[in-house]
Amino acid sequence: MRLLLVGISHRTAPVDLRERVDFQARGVELALRTLAARKPGGTANEIALLSTCNRAELYMACEDVGTARSELVSFISAFHDVDASAIEPHVYDVTDVEAARHLFRVAAGLDSLVVGEPQILGQVKEAHSASRQADTAGPLLNRLFHACFAVGKRVRTETNLGSGAVSVSYAAVNLAKKIFGGLEGRNVVVLGAGEMGKLTAQHMKSQGVRQVTIVSRTIAHAARTAEAIGGATAARWEDMDAALSASDIVITATGAATPVLTKARVESVMRPRRGRPLFIIDIAVPRDVEPAAGEIEQVFLYNIDDLQASVRENLARRSSEVARAESIVEEELEKFSRWLRSRGVIPTVVALRQSFESIRRAEIDRLEFKLSGLPPDARDEARARVDEITHLLVEKLLLMPTEQLKSLADAETASMYAEAITRVFGLDEAEQKGESRVEPFRPKSRPSGRQR
Amino acid sequence: MNIVPLVIYACAFVGYSLHFARRTPISARLATTMLAAAMLAHTFIIGMRTMQVGQVPVFDATSAMSMFVWLLAVAYLYTEVTTDERAMGVFILPLILALQAIPAFRTDAVVHPAVLRGPLFGIHVSSLLFAYASFALACVIGITYVLLFKEIKTKHLGVFYARLPSLQVLDQMNQRAIVVGWVFLTIGLIAGVVFAVEANVPAMLSLDDPKILVALICWLVYSFELFAARRIGWAGRRAAYLSALGFAIVLLNFVPISYLTSSHKF
Repeated sequence: MRLLLVGISHRTAPVDLRERVDFQARGVELALRTLAARKPGGTANEIALLSTCNRAELYMACEDVGTARSELVSFISAFHDVDASAIEPHVYDVTDVEAARHLFRVAAGLDSLVVGEPQILGQVKEAHSASRQADTAGPLLNRLFHACFAVGKRVRTETNLGSGAVSVSYAAVNLAKKIFGGLEGRNVVVLGAGEMGKLTAQHMKSQGVRQVTIVSRTIAHAARTAEAIGGATAARWEDMDAALSASDIVITATGAATPVLTKARVESVMRPRRGRPLFIIDIAVPRDVEPAAGEIEQVFLYNIDDLQASVRENLARRSSEVARAESIVEEELEKFSRWLRSRGVIPTVVALRQSFESIRRAEIDRLEFKLSGLPPDARDEARARVDEITHLLVEKLLLMPTEQLKSLADAETASMYAEAITRVFGLDEAEQKGESRVEPFRPKSRPSGRQR
Repeated sequence: MNIVPLVIYACAFVGYSLHFARRTPISARLATTMLAAAMLAHTFIIGMRTMQVGQVPVFDATSAMSMFVWLLAVAYLYTEVTTDERAMGVFILPLILALQAIPAFRTDAVVHPAVLRGPLFGIHVSSLLFAYASFALACVIGITYVLLFKEIKTKHLGVFYARLPSLQVLDQMNQRAIVVGWVFLTIGLIAGVVFAVEANVPAMLSLDDPKILVALICWLVYSFELFAARRIGWAGRRAAYLSALGFAIVLLNFVPISYLTSSHKF
């Protein structure tokens, strides 16, 4: 059984194609069931589907990777009603350990558009859970996904790959959280009803702030923006100071040519607040807040350049963590590929055990004749003892070869060993003969013995 | 014997430093386990000493110091377990190490005058020790608050920004530690006054005694801090500075006054 990955991602396909092959729109489970019903590769295989806005990847355990690949591409084409020739140039496919490496890197956030973004691990977990729901998961994919969860978890806890905000609005939200603990129950005031202010306010709203108040020189504009955000309120320009006094976070995004919030004005706003901190985010250019206002105790003033500088620092820090994350991927990949290799020798191990077991049974059958002379109680006991001893003997004889085979370092050596064992023990011949491959010695006068 | 917990506290400090640098789950577990082990060893030592002298050993300055360090370790460990914040361990352990070094290398003769007996005296000493441990915790939390505050204010988001909890959480922790400390300081002082009156020893109530004077100044500083935080908005950085000042006064009472003067000895 081999592992195959077929997919498209932001690295290979433009956004319009990624939109057209979005499996989430029609449901990942439905896609999995539809695909399983087609029996790609001629058998009912293990399949998982990872679908995010940046990638659509099918992971499959199959025998014939060549056939499976073309069937998977034709499935993607048929399921989304997109011409296969439009998809084909953007599809990548990798197999076995390389496929595992790819998924591990994806789960670690190393293959994401923004390196280290945190959502991907959750999406990978959803992909696995969908394949379990659709009954398309199996031992190989279960092992693969659990291994990749371990990679994602280790990268998250042992490196700083995902630390620090990498967009201006996230940087602002992170700062606010570092000042206030959480954003729940906080009041946000947005000065200016333009697009920038609206977007930032929407972002704050999605983070669970209690109230968003839009203050604009034209109350109608403020009301429109408040309505567009949903659940926000509008306030008059004249009521700005009252709104500021009640706020925790102020976002300034007006088009004013001179500062709207002078140091003196912020000081007067701070007075009735009794030391309650105020976080001012000035995203306007030219700036809306006098830089000196940042000197006031308990006022934290950040402008667009400060936030961008923090984003740049975080991006630099993340890129310096990539090597550490990659080494975690390689460590976990080594464990997984060891397991994968050990699966390659499983048929030989099984055949060897079957062969030994049939020899054991044949010899026990042969012994039955000799035991028949004993009284029934003694016969049963002797039979049980012999069975136990021979079973233990076979187990002990097989323990070392089994472990040695499973621990072989590379696939080529494993296959060589498997071949040698097959020949030495005549496993191929035994298989052809089936159950009767080792005939016990039966004396002509042997009475019908009890088969165990 | 007090050297054993000192050595384990030192190992815990290494653990917390490692955790501060690497922030891995293993280093977190290691640090907490080491501190818990040090605290258990310390509990055992105090228990042994209690059995040896027949009462909880708080009557001489060195034993009181050992008890204070133990209470501080307990208070910090409690804070850590309830908040799951370990970044402050690296700040609290140096204080624990510095103070535990005194009982580790010094043993005072057991002096237990007959006049210093009874439950009121026990309440007086244990309340004050617990109050001082709370103030020590408040001081360390206050220092971390100031460090984080400076990083955010000056827009140099670095080591502390990545490791410490939010300013709001630190401020709340600082305030809680001060409230707890203030309540026990008040109880301890009242118990001391009542005890002195009952014992009828005027020297016990004299403001000429620097230990009494400093304890009263402490009480005034922390009372002002609590009032200022609630009424005049001196929360955050100013509260943090006040808690550091308060603990500096506590330390003054603990080390120089205990060892260099004959104050408060009866």
